[in-house]
Amino acid sequence: MRLELGKIHIKDVQFGPETKVEAGVLYVNEDEIRKLVLEDERIVSCRVELAHPGESCRITPVKDVLEPRVKVSGGGEIFPGALNKVGQVGSGRTHCLDGACVVTVGKIVGFQEGVIDMSGPAAEYCPFSKTQNVCVVIEPKDGLETHDYEQAGRMVGLKVANYIGKAGKDVEPDEVVVYETKPLLEQIQEYPDLPKVGYLHMLQSQGLLHDTFYYGVDAKTFIPTLMYPTEIMDGAIVSGNCVAPCDKVTTYHHFHNPVIEDLYKHHGKDLNFVGVILTNENVFLADKERCSDMVAKLAKYIGLDGILITEEGYGNPDTDLMMNCRKVQQAGVDVVLITDEFPGRDGKSLSLADACEEANALASCGNGNVVIHFPPMDRLIGMTDYIEMQIGGWAGCKNDDGSFDAEIQIIIASTIANGFNTLAARGI
Amino acid sequence: MDKIRVVHYINQFFAGIGGEEKADIPPEIRPGTVGPGSALQAGLGDEYEVVATAICGDSHFGAHMDEDTETLLNMIAEYKPQLFVAGPAFNAGRYGVACGNIAKSVEEKFNIPVITGMYQENPGVDMFRKDLFIIKTGDSAADMRKSMPKMAALAKKLYECGGKVEGIGSPEEEGYHERGIRVNYFADTRGSERGIQMLLKKMAKQPFQTEYPMPVFDRVPPAAPVTDMKHAKIAVVTSGGIVPQGNPDHIESSSATKWGKYSIEGMDHMDKKDFMTIHGGYDRAFVTEDPDLVVPLDVLRELEKEGEFGELANYFITTTGTGTSTGNAKRFGEEFVPKLLEDNITAVILTST
Amino acid sequence: MGYYIVVTNNVLCRDRYQDTCRVEYQEDWTYLDVLLRARDLVHTGAQLITHPMAGSLKPNQTPYRSVVLGTGTMEDKEPLEDVMLMENSIDSCQKFLRGRPLPNWPEDIKKDFRTLDLSFIDGAMARAPRRPGITE
Repeated sequence: MRLELGKIHIKDVQFGPETKVEAGVLYVNEDEIRKLVLEDERIVSCRVELAHPGESCRITPVKDVLEPRVKVSGGGEIFPGALNKVGQVGSGRTHCLDGACVVTVGKIVGFQEGVIDMSGPAAEYCPFSKTQNVCVVIEPKDGLETHDYEQAGRMVGLKVANYIGKAGKDVEPDEVVVYETKPLLEQIQEYPDLPKVGYLHMLQSQGLLHDTFYYGVDAKTFIPTLMYPTEIMDGAIVSGNCVAPCDKVTTYHHFHNPVIEDLYKHHGKDLNFVGVILTNENVFLADKERCSDMVAKLAKYIGLDGILITEEGYGNPDTDLMMNCRKVQQAGVDVVLITDEFPGRDGKSLSLADACEEANALASCGNGNVVIHFPPMDRLIGMTDYIEMQIGGWAGCKNDDGSFDAEIQIIIASTIANGFNTLAARGI
Repeated sequence: MDKIRVVHYINQFFAGIGGEEKADIPPEIRPGTVGPGSALQAGLGDEYEVVATAICGDSHFGAHMDEDTETLLNMIAEYKPQLFVAGPAFNAGRYGVACGNIAKSVEEKFNIPVITGMYQENPGVDMFRKDLFIIKTGDSAADMRKSMPKMAALAKKLYECGGKVEGIGSPEEEGYHERGIRVNYFADTRGSERGIQMLLKKMAKQPFQTEYPMPVFDRVPPAAPVTDMKHAKIAVVTSGGIVPQGNPDHIESSSATKWGKYSIEGMDHMDKKDFMTIHGGYDRAFVTEDPDLVVPLDVLRELEKEGEFGELANYFITTTGTGTSTGNAKRFGEEFVPKLLEDNITAVILTST
Repeated sequence: MGYYIVVTNNVLCRDRYQDTCRVEYQEDWTYLDVLLRARDLVHTGAQLITHPMAGSLKPNQTPYRSVVLGTGTMEDKEPLEDVMLMENSIDSCQKFLRGRPLPNWPEDIKKDFRTLDLSFIDGAMARAPRRPGITE
């Protein structure tokens, strides 16, 4: 598959009578967004607010972050099976509003969501402190059942990102990046002397607020499968989870999977990037055995010399991570793991809930238990009523002036476990 | 400008008072430097001043840990320390444990940076590495010239960054025993790129360094279950420090370097007239009263009579677990297991405390 | 009754499975108590069916925990693996609780946590055969 990703650089976002992109500025029509969101009777109110880098502004509780994209040619539509009609994606041309994000905000399940600060010390840790954010603040109908509530919130993000993305369809991109992966045999032929490298992408799939969807299919119900790396750039994978804010793989991060992006940078130079294996992180232990066996089988079957593995979440997924690592390494494929760490408040406990001897190469995405100070901000999008209950906060952590102390796990994507950030932990 | 006030702790040997025969001297403190303190002062430079040296005999400290710590803290307090250095203790086990204990107590009480130094096999390393910066030293005082400057350098750095561990370089850079504390930093490249670089090296069979070393696994696969208990010969092995009265083989009360094998032939329980505990890691009162609590000979004899198993070996094997290095513990096993095999022991009951 | 044992402190889980499984439920069990009970069952021969830390909610975040065990024999399964998994989970749990205790959540948040916990177990049980591991 060959995908041209046309990047339209967005330098600013403003309200306007019409949703459009002009000279690097994204204008959004608030009424149209609100109308779109309120089509779902489960949502009773919707407000749109804009947040820019450097502002004294705090956004919380954040549910998901998405980048507006649109399919220009090549078949299929963005978010196939999750929002739009199911259809193969990953080829042709896609435009993205690079630098702009849709942020869904609201009390989904009070304790689960994170914080984005647009300036100050916490901004250092958050990728979305540097983007132009269209925040969609929603309120659900009273008494809505938790599953419905989660699904409604997830759809708001998809719909709004899809809607805004359309504004980029006929805009000439500032930059076009071409990504191409050929059918396996041809791809191996193309660079016969380079080591064949794959990527094992472990999708969160443990249940409510812990789910991920591939072409709309709940990941816990599939068995490991192969994917062209470009499929993910058209929204084949959608996040339905908000486990811990810090290592939540947002839908934005599926579009911008850093392992895929960086493997493409090395592709044809010092390695041959032949493809992606998708697997899940199920609760049922027999699934773990079965899926890790299949992962090792697929890795060997497609002839990999090496593989990078990323996980999402802590605890149960650590067991999948180690099972995958052990079995793939034992199958003769070299493994490098990428993950974040939770070594406790003093940093002295084990960072992961499981371990194996084969895991001798690991890139760290940082220690999520480190406490930092969040100063007061002039503007608040959403509400801070729940800070003390959000993951990383604690009873009494919040001060009267709106400032608080919390572990960096309260910040969206601060220790995201796929290597998107430069934050890392070291041993002393 | 006032100099930064440093207090140094050393044992009776380094204070020039005497060797093992003087190891029971009580705590004292002297103004200024004593013994290796001059090397410490030289390493710290003009902005720092070693204002006092606290001294205690190793045996005295080992036998009166709580009281001596209290006494030493009170003595040290009078000198209003801003930085505290203990040792280095090299491979001296009791000295290392004393340095670790005092340094940790000083840090907790005065909230000032503390540092010590030890050889890797000193039991104090494993006991205190999570709590303290312990500089790696050689195994004897011959290494003083090399180790003291390293201790002084890291002590200064700790003082300068206010005791915050984030300001300290890696164990390799600074020369201390890795503490196992995970601290954050911003790397030059993102995690995915660093992972790819690591993979390229791993595939090319070149050396690479993981960013998170896995915990060390020293797992022993469990033996197959005993299928015929009726004919099994059972032995008791304990790390609970039970020895015959008088401790004839002088097994240490902590950081053991030896083990013992003692007869229980003809006995129907562990009588306190015959056995005692020397274990330094728990309150000995109950076990002193009834050694069966650690070597359950009374119930084993009952089970033996009832025919639950074949027979009990006529001896037990014992050592002290507390502070004992894993290296020594492994050696003990390698030494006594052949004896157990020779005596056709089917299974062993290990009791710990 | 039934092949499975469900150890839980979540009333929703008890209600869902009490007709088809052997449910061990105590309202006043903590997360750690549930793990300890599951560990004891593993030591007496039960096998883990679900991961003891199912869900990535940390043990000082959610009060609720459910673990499913099986009572059949799985000859190829190494019992030590389950023991280690239980011990690692108990270790992790204690690590988090040492750092920061469980907050005293209001009832509406507890309700959400119960729903999540049930969802993890439902997801697994939907995929579990009625009587696994029994070969004729």
